[in-house]
Amino acid sequence: MKALEVKDIVKQFPGVLANDSINLSVNKGEIYAIVGENGAGKSTLMKIIYGLYTPTSGEIFVFDKKVDIKTPHDAIGLKIGMVHQEFMLIPRFTVTQNIVLGDEPSKGIVFDYKKALSEVKELSKKFGLKVDPAEKVANLPVGIQQRVEILKILRRGAEILIFDEPTAVLTPEETEDLFKTLMKLKENGKTIIFISHKLKEVIAIADRIAVLRRGKLQGIVEKGKTSEVELARMVVGRDVVLKIPKAETKVRETVVSVRDLTVKSKRGIIGLKEVSFDVCAGEIVGIAGVEGNGQAELVNALIGFTRPVKGTIAFDSKELRVITPFNIRKKGMAYIPKDRKMRGLVLPFRSRENIIMGQHTLYPFSKNGVLNNIEIDKFTTKKLEEFDVRPRDIHTRARNLSGGNQQKLILAKEMSMEHKFLLASQPTRGLDIGAMEFVYHKLIEEKERGMAILLISLELSEILGLSDRILVLYNGEIVGETTPDKTNEEELGLMMLGLKKKKRVTK
Amino acid sequence: MKDVFKRFFFGKREKYWWMNVLVPLVSILLAFIVGAIFIKITGRSPVVAYKLLFGASGLFPGPYWKSHFSEMLLSSSMYIATGLGFAIAAKGGLFNIGAEGHFIVGGITAAYLGYAKPFAGLPKFIHLPLIIVGVILAGGIWGAIAGYLKAKRGIHEVITTIMLNWIALYLIEAWLVIGPMKAAVETGISGTPYISLSAKLPKILPPTRLNISIIIILAVTFLIWYLFYKTTFGYEIRTMGHTLIFGMEAPKAAGINVERKTIQTMFIAGAVAALGGAFMVLGVLFQYPPIFEGGYGFDGIAVALIGQNEPLGVVLAGILIGALRTGATTVQLAHIPKTFPSIIEGFAVGFIALQMLIRYWLMKLVRGRKKSVQTEMGGGAK
Ligand SMILES: Nc1ncnc2c1ncn2[C@@H]1O[C@H](COP(=O)(O)OP(=O)(O)OP(=O)(O)O)[C@@H](O)[C@H]1O
Ligand SMILES: [Mg+2]
Repeated sequence: MKALEVKDIVKQFPGVLANDSINLSVNKGEIYAIVGENGAGKSTLMKIIYGLYTPTSGEIFVFDKKVDIKTPHDAIGLKIGMVHQEFMLIPRFTVTQNIVLGDEPSKGIVFDYKKALSEVKELSKKFGLKVDPAEKVANLPVGIQQRVEILKILRRGAEILIFDEPTAVLTPEETEDLFKTLMKLKENGKTIIFISHKLKEVIAIADRIAVLRRGKLQGIVEKGKTSEVELARMVVGRDVVLKIPKAETKVRETVVSVRDLTVKSKRGIIGLKEVSFDVCAGEIVGIAGVEGNGQAELVNALIGFTRPVKGTIAFDSKELRVITPFNIRKKGMAYIPKDRKMRGLVLPFRSRENIIMGQHTLYPFSKNGVLNNIEIDKFTTKKLEEFDVRPRDIHTRARNLSGGNQQKLILAKEMSMEHKFLLASQPTRGLDIGAMEFVYHKLIEEKERGMAILLISLELSEILGLSDRILVLYNGEIVGETTPDKTNEEELGLMMLGLKKKKRVTK
Repeated sequence: MKDVFKRFFFGKREKYWWMNVLVPLVSILLAFIVGAIFIKITGRSPVVAYKLLFGASGLFPGPYWKSHFSEMLLSSSMYIATGLGFAIAAKGGLFNIGAEGHFIVGGITAAYLGYAKPFAGLPKFIHLPLIIVGVILAGGIWGAIAGYLKAKRGIHEVITTIMLNWIALYLIEAWLVIGPMKAAVETGISGTPYISLSAKLPKILPPTRLNISIIIILAVTFLIWYLFYKTTFGYEIRTMGHTLIFGMEAPKAAGINVERKTIQTMFIAGAVAALGGAFMVLGVLFQYPPIFEGGYGFDGIAVALIGQNEPLGVVLAGILIGALRTGATTVQLAHIPKTFPSIIEGFAVGFIALQMLIRYWLMKLVRGRKKSVQTEMGGGAK
């Protein structure tokens, strides 16, 4: 039985044909993956199915019935649910409150919290999704928040579950948990559609994989009949070698040196404890660790969003008393934030306006405080080409760019800014493999040019491939320091879980 | 040449850029229609009422046009000033309710500098600019206080600007005007003394009262437009305007000094709104009266909303509101209270608030079919 079928779906945005007569059919109880380049039209297609966009033309069938989905409300009525990349949960509410929100069980007119609690417990048992129903969402790690999100749509009776890049924000362990959940849902007869750029995962879990390119359906492959290499070729249209080039490291003077840094987290507890390390010109220092073990606190202290409780940060051997984003950027720090919407871009701004943010006061973008539009346009045109941001139109608003292209725009902005220290937090989040390859080359190139780079990533392969030194963060402390040739993924994994320590060679 | 001109003033337009113009126009039109319905329901003639209203508004030629026209521009210049005060802050993501306070601070400063001794004797071409500078500083500082409290103490600007409005009002009306700045008893004047001749704004259309205030405010509007769209300063204000209210941190992360910009933005907003008060004192009242007929500050909010916080829009909206107010008294001839234009203004603001709906509806109308409407309106993409 077909759970979902789309016929000749076309979506035309002004100037961009996002979906070009796409035909897909998804069987009931199937895990169906959609892969494709950044800007290929994956999210657009899913948003059409979920009623967030209306297609320019085309038909949708749900359980063999032709339907007209105008709003997400219609979609929910047809038992279609979507887990968005940004979760739509209310942090102050408990898990239960969030799950029942909008459709609360009641006693008369009073909200029946007890009944809600037991409903949530039952639901979580049925699908094997462990959550603490009474815990506040704000206190949960991303993986569990995603679980809450899944429970929420299951409670609404969803039979078809759509996930837009669910694993982009997850750690490898959380991804494994999610996949277990997906298998369980599949056993329960649910249909799952998910988008991912991580081809290895896709091959591991999907029954069928559809490849989109430039709005067109490129092909559909069955489970077990493809390899990562072949799939990668289908996605980007050329061979990709995700082998990271080994570059010679010529370590020079220390650029950033952190001593005994202790930082409070947003929740007010100590999130980073007496951490010390150096980053030198010409090297990449990788920070490995499960999300929420002090990375956010470290980043916030370095960029000047939070004032440390204790400890010092020195830049070019000069200790900085007070760090603000303003003064640290002036000293030559570039920062690729992991949250592109909150910290990376001004969404209503056009590419040309976004790309100069932070260097807008510098020549040639402005002179005596007056912007030079001609220079800005020239620069933007060049950078969009170099970083392959699509569409190339310098006037596209950031909110109309696809997720991966937003990320490329941030990379273009930060990496072309005059800097000697690059703080890169999840720089490849949401990028397709082609773009990922490009970023790896860029980072190596920067290092060879003598930049100091601090790379924070959840992706162990990235850490192992790029770093000259690796620091492992666990529970706010550096529990080990090593180099890629003296360790492997297993050992790093153990260290990240606090099960193994490795003596630090340097300080 | 034409290209450079187009580039300079328009930049790149959206496919449906004219929507941004059409939506406020339709809102205003709807307000007038609703107004007409109200008049009709109460058994009076909307045609007569609107004829009277617009006949005396100064917008269209007719009897006594010259005087209506000058009255309209006199009040428009004040509405534009307070409207800009709101719009400037709004561009930076700040909700400035303080124009009323800035207006009267500007007024009292202009009055003082206008009559007080060391200044009053100066020649006009020194005296007048001096007063304007004083007004800008006083209004700017009054505005910057709210900006400072927001930036350094995190107190919301709505609260501080409202408080500062009351503080300004009591400082002026309960102390200055009846105390230190009171005119000598023997002159028989209530309120402050009259300003010296050298402090009065030069007239430009005798025999009417019209003075250079409208020219000053148009120049200021151009400067603000230039500031917003052509300078790094305005660029930074706009980055804040798109992010602050949503709790986004992109400008700060990019190294923009958001705190300092907040204070500076509020300074400019206060300074421009204060000019309105100066226009009142230097061009209409020539003194600060014991009780000031206020309201310009709050009407400024309506002006800014109708004008979509864009400098040119604020000018047009300011002229419209000025015209309505000028024509207001005559509607009484049609047995309609003279507050009627404020009701229209209220409806216009109401419809502006519903602009997403109006936009959606217009878009449907334009495209004939209901296909993919919400996305072209900029429905958020991932
Ligand atoms: N609201 C919109 N207005 C205009 N263009 C849009 C809009 N949403 C998406 N687009 C364009 O449609 C194309 C497809 O975007 P979509 O978000 O579907 O890509 P995607 O396949 O999800 O890519 P990614 O992997 O980067 O997330 C892109 O070129 C994008 O710029
Ligand atoms: Mg996407």
